[in-house]
Formats: sequence, structure tokens, C-alpha cells
Amino acid sequence: MSSHSKAAEKFIADRPRTDWHNQALWFVRQKRDNMARSIPEWEALREAAARTKMHTITHLAYYLEMFERNATANGIHVHWAKDALEHNETVYNILKEHGVKHLVKSKSMLAEECGLSPYLEERGIEAVESDLGERIMQLMHQPPSHIVLPAIHVKRQEVGELFERELGTEHGNSDPTYLTHAAREHLRDKFLHADAAMTGVNFAVASSGAFVVCTNEGNADMGTSFPKLHIAIMGLEKVIPDYDALAIYHRLLARSATGQHSTTYTSHYKRPVEGQEMHIVIVDNGRSKILGNPVHRNMLRCLRCGSCMNTCPVYRRSGGYSYSYFIPGPLGINLGMLADPKQYSGNVSACSLCMSCSNVCPVKIDLGEQIYSWRQELDTLGLANPVKKGIVKVLNTALGSPGMFHFCIKAGRLGEKISPRGLLYCGANAWGRSRELPEFTARTFEQIWKEELSSTASCNTETARKGSSTNI
Amino acid sequence: MTSKDTILEALKANSPAPVERGPLGFTPMTFQDPLAKFQENVVSIAAAKCFLLQDGESVDDIIRRVYPDAKRIASNLPEVTCATVNPDGLDDPRQLAGTDVGVVRGEFGVVENGAIWIPRAVRHKALMFISEALVILLDRRNIVNNMHEAYARPGFDDYEFGSFIAGPSKTADIEQALVIGAHGPRDVTVILL
Amino acid sequence: MKVGLFIPCFVNAIYPQVGVASYKLLRSLGVDVDYPLGQTCCGQPMANGGFEKDSAPLARNMEKLFHDYDYVVGPSGSCVAFVKDHYPDILHKEAHECLSSRIYEICEFIHDVVKPSELPHASFPHKVSVHNSCHGLRLLGLASPSELNIPHFSKLKDLLSMVDGIEITEPSRVDECCGFGGMFSVEEPAVSACMGQDKVRDHMSTGAEYITGADSSCLMHMEGVIKREKLPIKTIHIVEILASNL
Repeated sequence: MSSHSKAAEKFIADRPRTDWHNQALWFVRQKRDNMARSIPEWEALREAAARTKMHTITHLAYYLEMFERNATANGIHVHWAKDALEHNETVYNILKEHGVKHLVKSKSMLAEECGLSPYLEERGIEAVESDLGERIMQLMHQPPSHIVLPAIHVKRQEVGELFERELGTEHGNSDPTYLTHAAREHLRDKFLHADAAMTGVNFAVASSGAFVVCTNEGNADMGTSFPKLHIAIMGLEKVIPDYDALAIYHRLLARSATGQHSTTYTSHYKRPVEGQEMHIVIVDNGRSKILGNPVHRNMLRCLRCGSCMNTCPVYRRSGGYSYSYFIPGPLGINLGMLADPKQYSGNVSACSLCMSCSNVCPVKIDLGEQIYSWRQELDTLGLANPVKKGIVKVLNTALGSPGMFHFCIKAGRLGEKISPRGLLYCGANAWGRSRELPEFTARTFEQIWKEELSSTASCNTETARKGSSTNI
Repeated sequence: MTSKDTILEALKANSPAPVERGPLGFTPMTFQDPLAKFQENVVSIAAAKCFLLQDGESVDDIIRRVYPDAKRIASNLPEVTCATVNPDGLDDPRQLAGTDVGVVRGEFGVVENGAIWIPRAVRHKALMFISEALVILLDRRNIVNNMHEAYARPGFDDYEFGSFIAGPSKTADIEQALVIGAHGPRDVTVILL
Repeated sequence: MKVGLFIPCFVNAIYPQVGVASYKLLRSLGVDVDYPLGQTCCGQPMANGGFEKDSAPLARNMEKLFHDYDYVVGPSGSCVAFVKDHYPDILHKEAHECLSSRIYEICEFIHDVVKPSELPHASFPHKVSVHNSCHGLRLLGLASPSELNIPHFSKLKDLLSMVDGIEITEPSRVDECCGFGGMFSVEEPAVSACMGQDKVRDHMSTGAEYITGADSSCLMHMEGVIKREKLPIKTIHIVEILASNL
């Protein structure tokens, strides 16, 4: 069994919770569908988004240099980091120079990718997550289970208990409004007293040197409003050519992510304000290598909207933690394999190839098709599941020739008849744990054809043709 | 070699054949009566209040009517005479904590999402986020249909910080239940001049 | 026009009545249809499991068997989609040089090529819930997928609406996966079964007596759930309905 399969089984063992998780995310998918249908040009917009991203990722060096030039002219300090370690060091050094002890962060998947918060905490810098969902997860000492909805797997009662313990809220009160406002008070204090703010970057506009940060809570903006230092971190694929491109992505991002027309705050940072210092760290960490991979370079188009997770029937029923990579769902399966196939191949089974992810993706990444491709590569990488390999060997033999095929069906029929149910439905029968096995029929279609139908086919073909009421 | 050079070199080495950008390929949606639809969307989409300033009515009248209990009203706009604080006179943005109502000017509104572009025109952008309620004054003639029109407006790039703001701060991070007033303003009022 | 009937392995062994109905239906529409002997499998099971290279001999056999037919028609959307999308890669050929350009799922073939205006024989006085299979929809375009903002259509419902006495409905999550996914069903048994159970219940909530669709594999999966839990709903392949009374 794959690592995902095992973890998923545990998650599903609590079926009411699975159903609740499934429904919560399906609700987001439905909101996204409503948005897609309210824009007549939706499909053309996705097409333009995909094409503009392809254009951008085939000119990445050009646009990154343009961005750096313009951002520098705007007074922003631009840094480059080859990998996660250099990213963490760069951020740490800036913080150290400014004597920062308390950092307030808005949500960044790149920070998760690089393991920034633990890195800083080991060095005595407190990094407080300010997005409500991220803060909940931070207080629970767990990673986010979804890239846009970090605490989607946590129930309100659990948040109530957590906040009672951590923030001193009323015992037994799990009203989301009450709890959110308690977090508001708690974080307001963090915002006002932070020494530095960190944000992610949704888009970096090359032509202007500005970067865009999207939130609903206003936590990124609140965070950057008080301290003298703002550090923004971005994966290098976040660069886009100009405002024409930004218009396309602005329209797609929130609609795809949460089914909103736009995020409440779509904030554009172009110049540091009076007395403030602004830094941006551009991070590679494997991205330039992905660019060289013809099958998987499409992943660099990703906006991190999370819609592929919300639609994924497997993700909805297995939860974010069933995936061994920190990003779950179709996106995480692919990015995990690109990061380290050995470590993350246990997620590749988590896909029924329903292809819904490819259809919701605002930049038309062929996510499902890429998972299919990874499966083809597992055997070469020496990572194929040996049981599955065994099944395929049996299939190869059974289906390899018509004679063998029909012999196996006969054997199967006999097996069904003589095997006690306990043997047929033994523990090794993964199908049979919750489903009855299909039964072989007395005659195959090929037998029926030979015995009954073939004669009608040959003698009636002419009459059929003449008597045809159709135009063929 | 610097990290920048390493990265750029790797990108150049790994870059596939360039893909042309091509034309947009569609006509973005527009609205028959943009102003009416904008007003509707500010309320229904952005969850804000929206008033069209009437003849003989002042901005102050509306602010006082909507926020009768507001004690600390911060604005640097000349038409907001009910302001009790000029935020530009404060050296530290933290001094804006406790602001009941902040009043700022928006540059234009976007019909398709009910958002308003607000380039920072106050000393501390904190005003837009820390005020319990945010009032946005907007010229009713400055309405665009969609984001394409928004970003194509002449002079758009002329800002230091700016945000498209669509209503009050919100979150749905606890069980997808929508809660207004996450970190920023709990209430937003748009006054169309 | 010569049509070769493609009967996938599991239809041959488990659902031969679907093959018989396919044959009778095509014949009734005046199609010159033949079944070339010696068919086994298209190769999809191994490929979806990650062993596409093992499907090459099967693909070559398919190419050989159906070489002389103008069209190849089969009652299983997923198998047809596999031939269509993957044979060019597997066989290192252009699509027009292999079966990919000539293969049709049977509903697609009847709807788009034969184009009958009526099915005078067909009668099925029952309420059916249409199962929109993933590959039928998203790979073959048998109906508009729910994710896309394109005009709504359903070739399956168009055909079913020619059947006398039938009442057609669809589940609320109209095209969510049933969880079969070939090897997925045994590699991820917990999620797969959960998806199957959810899907069957969604079909049941329509009040339908039957789940029908163009993919025997999805129907097989849901049948496994139904039989295990003894649920009051049945599965039937769409051609069995379209070929009723033949």
C-alpha cells in the first residue's frame, strides 16, 4: 500500500468527519463553479491565462531581470536565493541586521516550502502567522492541510478549545464570529508590536517593479503598516510581464480559489514608504530545473489557488495530511515528485484520473495527465509498488493472447464456484473489503458471437445496408 | 558567481522555445448601467454600504448618520469636516489604533467585483486597515467595467502603495463560516460623489 | 462503411449482454457491424497503473484486428478514450495512422455519426439516473463537464430521450468520479470505496431505479457497492436501454 493509501484509510475510518470534510470543500468547488458561470468569457480567460504564463515562463530570465531593475529603481532591495537554505539565510540576515525579535507573517507557501518559521525560531526570532487559519494551525503546532484554507480540516469546537487554552476565550464557545474576533484582538497586539513584517507574493509585475499580495483578512496589509521593515518572498515563477497580464490573473485567482469575485484586499506594493525598508527575495529552489522538464514545466504556471484540491474527490475524502508532501492534492502530487521522487512517490496513487483538476485549473495545467506520466516513470525510478507490478505481470499473461484470455476466464469461473467466500474475500482482496466482486458469466461475448450473432452479421449485412434509414 | 547569475543562467539553459504572448482573444464583459451595477455589487458582493450623495447632502451628513457613535474620525480630506484627527499629523501609525472611522478617497471602482482602487494618499496606510470602519469617497464618474479596464487606466502605475478594496475585512477560516471583521475594518461605506 | 465492434476484456467476460445490445442496436440502425475475433484488452489497466509500456503488445493486437474497419465502436468510454489519447504515444505513430482517429464510444458514434432521429423499438418505463463518467465526459466530450463554462449538452441524455416511457435524472454532483479508476480501486481501496458509496447514494437520492451510463467499468464499481450493501438500485449500461425490445 502506498503511503497515501495507508494514511487515507485512517482518515476515512472516521466517516462522519470524512463526509464533513468532503462537503466543506465541495461547497468551495460549487462557489467556484458559480463564478466560472457568471463570466461569459471564462474559458477564453483561462486560455489567455495559460498562454500568458507559457509566454512568461519561456522568458523568465528576461522578466525577472526587468522586475529587479524596476523594483530596485523603486527603492526595493532585491535578493536572489538558489535554494531553501539560502532563502532562509537571506531572510535571517536581514532580520538580524535590524535586530528583529518579533516577525509577523502573512500566509506564504514558499515559507512552508523552505521551512522558514522553524529556522527562525531556532535562531530566537518569533514568527507569528497572522492569517486566521494559519494562526490556528500554528497554535495547534500542525502544518496547514490546504494551501488556501489552512484549517479546513479543523472543526469549530476544536478551535474553541484551542482558543480557550491559548487565548483565554470562554469555555464551550465555538461560535466562528466570536472566535474570529478573539483572534482579531490577539493578533492586533502582534501587529502593533512586530519589529518586521513578512508577506508572500501573488504576482510580481515586471514592467512596474511592483508586487501584489492578496488577502481577505487584510492581515498582510495590517502587518506591513507598522514595522519599519517589510520582507516579501517569492518563487521566481510569480513574475508576470505587466498590468495587462495582472488583469487576467486578478480576475481568475479568487474566483478559482474561494469562489469570490476578488479577494477583499488586492494590495500593490511598489515603493517603501517614509522610513520603511522593503526587501524582496526571489527564490529558485528547484524551479529552474522544472523549467527544463518538458513533461512537467507546466507546473510553473500555477497560481496556488487550490482549486485542484477542492475539486479532487480523493483529496476531499482523505484530507491534506494523507499526502506526504506539504502541498496536498493534484498540485502536491506533482510538486512533490518534482521535489524528490524517492520521498514523495507514495502520493502518486492518490488519483483516480478523473481529470476534474485539469478542468478547474485557471491556467489550464494538465495536472491529471501529469500524474499519469509520473506513474509511467515510477518503475524506471525503481519506485513502483511491487504488488501492483505483480498484478500487471498477471494481467500481461492473462490478456496477452486470446487463448490465454479465455482460459483465464474459464479458470476464474471455476475459482468463483469452488472457492469459499472467506478465501475470495480474504484480507488480500482490497476490492472485496467493501465491494462485491463482479462475477464471470456463463458465456463470454466472444462465445455468444460465435454461437449466435456471427451468422446474423454476415447474412444480414446487405439487407441491413439496403434497409438503412440513415444516410450512411 | 552570484546566486542571481546562477539562477538566470539555469533559467536560460533550461528555457524551452519561446511562446508568443498573443492577443487577449476575447472581449471582456461590460455592463449596461455600470454605475447602478457597481452600487449593487458594492453591497451584494463586497458586503459594504453604498450611498449616492444627494443634492444638498454632505459627506459629513452620511458619515454621522451611518456612524452616529463614532468618536474618533480620522481623515485628511478637506470635505470631511467631521474628522476629529488629521492622520497626517501623527508620526507613528500606531497612534491610529482606536480610530472609529477612517475616511479616504478612492480613485475608481470596478463593477465586476465591487472593488475600489485606493492608492495611498495618507501618510500612514494603516488608516485603511486599522480603522473600525472605513469610508471611501469615490467620484461616481470613475467606474470601470472590469479589471482589464482598471489596469489600463492612464496613470494607473502612479502609486507607492495601493489596494483594490472590496468591502470589510473578512475570513471563512473556521469551518467556511463567513465572518466580517477579521483584522481590518468591520464595516465599509462607499459614498459616491 | 464497415464498423468493427470493440468489446473490452471485462465486458467480454462479465457483461456480455452489453456487447450483444451494442451489436443489436447498431444493426437496428442499419450499421454494417462485425466483431473481429481474438480481442482481449486495450491495455488501459496496466497503463493507468503506471505500466504503459506493457500495453504496447495489446495495442498492436488491437491495431491488427481493426485494421480494415472504417470505424471502431465500443461500449466503454474509458477504454475508447485510452485508445484515442494514448495509442499514438504507445505505438509511436501519428493519430491518423492508428485506431485513435477511427475509434468511437458507441453513444458518441450513434449521436454524431449515425444520427438517428428516433429509436422506435426502445422503451424503458423506469426512472434512470445518468452516470456521467469521467473519461466519457472530460476526455471524450459525451456531455459538458460541470467545471467548464460551455453550453450544456449531453449526448447520453439526447439518446435516452428517444426511449419511450423513460424518466431521466442526474445526481446532484453530476459528474463526480465513482472512484473506480482501474488499479486505483485496489491501490487506494478506502478512498475508492468511499467514493463509490457516495456516488451510489447520490444516484439513489434522485429516486431512480437504475444507474445508467456509457462506461461498464464505473457501473461495475457501483454494482460492487450496491450488492455488498444490498441497496435498492440497479445498474444498467445505456446500450441495454437503447437496445430494449430488439
